[in-house]
Amino acid sequence: MQVGFYFDQTRCIGCSACAVACKDWHDIPAGPEKWMKVLYNEEGKFPHIFVSYRINPCFHCIDPVCIPVCPVGAIAKREEDGIVTVDSNKCIGNEECDSKCLKACPYDAPQFGTEIGAKMRKCNYCLDRHLEGKLPTCIESCRTRALDAGSIEELKQKYGSIKETNNFIYSERTKPSVVFNPKEK
Amino acid sequence: METQENDTIDNGEKIIRTTTAFDCGGRCPLRVHVKDGKVIRIEGDDFEDKNEQLRACLRCRALRQYIYHPERLKFPLKRDGPKGSGKFKRISWDEALSEIAAKLKEVKEKYGNSSIFLATGGGYQAALHDGMFAMIRLLTQFGGFSTHFGNISSEGAVYATQTQYTSPFVGHSRTDLKNSKLIIMWGWDPARMISGSDTIFNLIKAKEKGIKIICIDPRYTDSAVVLADQWIPIIPGTDTAMMVAMAYVMIEENLHDQEFLDKYSIGFEKFVDYVMGEEDGIPKTPEWAEQITSVPAEIISNLAREYATTKPAAFMDCQGPARSAVGELYNRCAMTLTAMTGNVGKHGGSAAGGLMGIPYGHMFFASRIPPPYRNPVETGLKSVRGSLDLQLRFQARCHTNKMFDAILKGKGGGYPFDVKFAWFVNNNFLNQLGNTNKAAEALKKLDYMVSAELWLTPTARYADIVLPVTSAAEKNDFTRPWPSGPYFTAMNQAIEPIGECKSDLRIAEELADKLGLEEFVKYPDEKKALRFLIKLREDTRKNIRNINEFREKGIHRIEIEEPYVAFKEQIDDIENKPFKTPSGKIEIFSQRIADLNDPENPPIPKYMERWEGRYDPLSEKYPLQLLSPHPKNRVHSELYLVEWLREVDPHVAWINPVDAEYRGIRDGDEILVYNDRGKLTIKAWLTERIIPGAISIFEGAWYDPDENGIDRGGCVNTLTKDAYSPGGASALKSCLVEIKKYNRGA
Repeated sequence: MQVGFYFDQTRCIGCSACAVACKDWHDIPAGPEKWMKVLYNEEGKFPHIFVSYRINPCFHCIDPVCIPVCPVGAIAKREEDGIVTVDSNKCIGNEECDSKCLKACPYDAPQFGTEIGAKMRKCNYCLDRHLEGKLPTCIESCRTRALDAGSIEELKQKYGSIKETNNFIYSERTKPSVVFNPKEK
Repeated sequence: METQENDTIDNGEKIIRTTTAFDCGGRCPLRVHVKDGKVIRIEGDDFEDKNEQLRACLRCRALRQYIYHPERLKFPLKRDGPKGSGKFKRISWDEALSEIAAKLKEVKEKYGNSSIFLATGGGYQAALHDGMFAMIRLLTQFGGFSTHFGNISSEGAVYATQTQYTSPFVGHSRTDLKNSKLIIMWGWDPARMISGSDTIFNLIKAKEKGIKIICIDPRYTDSAVVLADQWIPIIPGTDTAMMVAMAYVMIEENLHDQEFLDKYSIGFEKFVDYVMGEEDGIPKTPEWAEQITSVPAEIISNLAREYATTKPAAFMDCQGPARSAVGELYNRCAMTLTAMTGNVGKHGGSAAGGLMGIPYGHMFFASRIPPPYRNPVETGLKSVRGSLDLQLRFQARCHTNKMFDAILKGKGGGYPFDVKFAWFVNNNFLNQLGNTNKAAEALKKLDYMVSAELWLTPTARYADIVLPVTSAAEKNDFTRPWPSGPYFTAMNQAIEPIGECKSDLRIAEELADKLGLEEFVKYPDEKKALRFLIKLREDTRKNIRNINEFREKGIHRIEIEEPYVAFKEQIDDIENKPFKTPSGKIEIFSQRIADLNDPENPPIPKYMERWEGRYDPLSEKYPLQLLSPHPKNRVHSELYLVEWLREVDPHVAWINPVDAEYRGIRDGDEILVYNDRGKLTIKAWLTERIIPGAISIFEGAWYDPDENGIDRGGCVNTLTKDAYSPGGASALKSCLVEIKKYNRGA
């Protein structure tokens, strides 16, 4: 089984409840460490404009490019559900290895706090909740139900297999585990 | 602590089902995880049908950081430096309340009760511990007090609906949106301004059903981002010109519903005289409106035709554009269009009127412990009942948006009192009313001030004594949503009070002792008090049959068979169920207003230019119109310090690149926004999402003047005017400014 996300870009109002709920659930201080981000995109000229938002968690890729670049093997992919996890005890910190995982990831999923030599942490699909049979907290916090998560195969059956959307390019190299309902221009 | 434990998890974690009482239209059910007496996590509604959950927004998702923020006040404080300096020292409750009681007695004796002023707002809206109700009761029994009139948010809409319907319940259930064939959202951004937890989701569902949605707004709002099939940008303050021109097209092309108007309304013919130019020689054509609104005539004509011929259609005006000098006229024009198209009282239609409320669990039916008798300062005055004469409201009160002017000038300025003592509760009015610099001047001059607060807000900084108040997590209570419901939520205490914080009710009770008010009834047993309050009002008594179950579930959802539709009763049976207006019909023409003989307050809705709009000569000096919409990451100024919220929406000014480039301003530049009332600095955000000629700064950021009097906090009311429309709307959105790049030290 491989878990993944579904994002309905036509429903996202950019409110960032998902990002705040994530910080609360995982007890992450305000600052640069953001396991879930909401990205903004604006195109065109007044009054003919296009605006879209896009979530940015870790997409728990099929072939995560972050794993081979880690000098100490701190990143792993769980066999049973494909969740990409990081062992912060093993991680040697962003100074020592120059944040190789972050540089490798096309989606900037690996995150670091502000302290010197911060260890990498990132979205873990709310592993604790997942093990209790619950969805990640971001999913349940979405007021417009723009988010879903679960087995990527089931998500594809339910929502289709569109792999790209505005402000998101599918990387064949790492194969992010996500499907979209893109917002039409 | 009397708690309602809802669920226990194996590791000693408890889940408390509760809610909050911010000045927000949500009041969402929350599940607060508590371990070892501390809140460790927040979850939202877990109602079985996920599509029916009342999901909390980002603000309550950040509640933990709000509750435990290091800046939360924990002890009573006494001022220990100049007013506004923020210098305070810790004192005991006994010392604080003894000093306040002595001061109250002294002021009462020397100057009389009218010099005691109560400033109350919407900062905590729940039944039992609401400081407004507690202080009204206490000060009434102390011999009376002066206060203010006028809802800062919606008075324009209140006046307008009183005029044409004489009822504030002009809304439909949000689920009725799906019955529309066309939805027109005019100045309404429910993605940010939460008027009902599920309002935005209901709109999305309506759109996905194929219902066309048109957004008319100077900004391309986040609601427009997901909803708008068409965005019609409009110059702020000119909405009524466009609405009147839409009426012109309908009349000209005979698209209006004359039968409906004949049966249910009065005064349409007078409105026709105005619209067609009989009255003033100016036909209000789409071309005429284009000159004023910047909306192309063809777009106006097409919208008029589309709205008149697509039935039913929901015309959703809001309160925001009415928060201006134009005020009530905006909602009155909108209501007139809904009558002209026969959309009032019908499923999928709308009566407009901005308030959007339904009479189920509505905040207007406030559950409160009533004072035993009327405020003695206000007894014996002329009755305001049924009158649209604002002056009657000011027999003993000032307008809310004139509060600081009244404190400054007193009777010498024509106000009915001289303030010597003021109690501020549930508000941050220095920050949230017009003209913050004047407010600061007034509070510096004020003899004595008490602030009951959770934070040392810009207002509280001027107080002589600041009393620390508990948050919703520290209380047992219950709430009503703003307007839409239909539900009640239970507030179950999750944690012990932080520091020495007390609820406003407890503060009033202890102060009553200090004042020797033996007859002041106390409610030491919260559970009994809540039972009493639930039984007190018919809607809670009928709906919440089992109080224990209500508190266990944390919510009572009111079952309604079909979506509520405002005025359906009247439209279905006007003979037996007339409107509450004097004529029993929708009053497009209001004799009550005509009797006031005020040329600024016309008896039929009109387009009027008042002041600080695009065409005010002052625009030569200050050419930009300033908008101050609701922020998404705080409730007005509540939650302002919470970092989790600040980081997701940094405080910036929306500026169209056309306006920025002309002034040499680039994206991210720090700019100075200024007019004769004040100056503030803020970062520029260049976006095509705002009409040229207007800038937008979300209200609620905290005023923080530097040594030169420049507000470095970016509080938008540093620039707004303390004025109101003829119908009493706080005119915060009629505001002209200029901007320039800010150079430090220059």
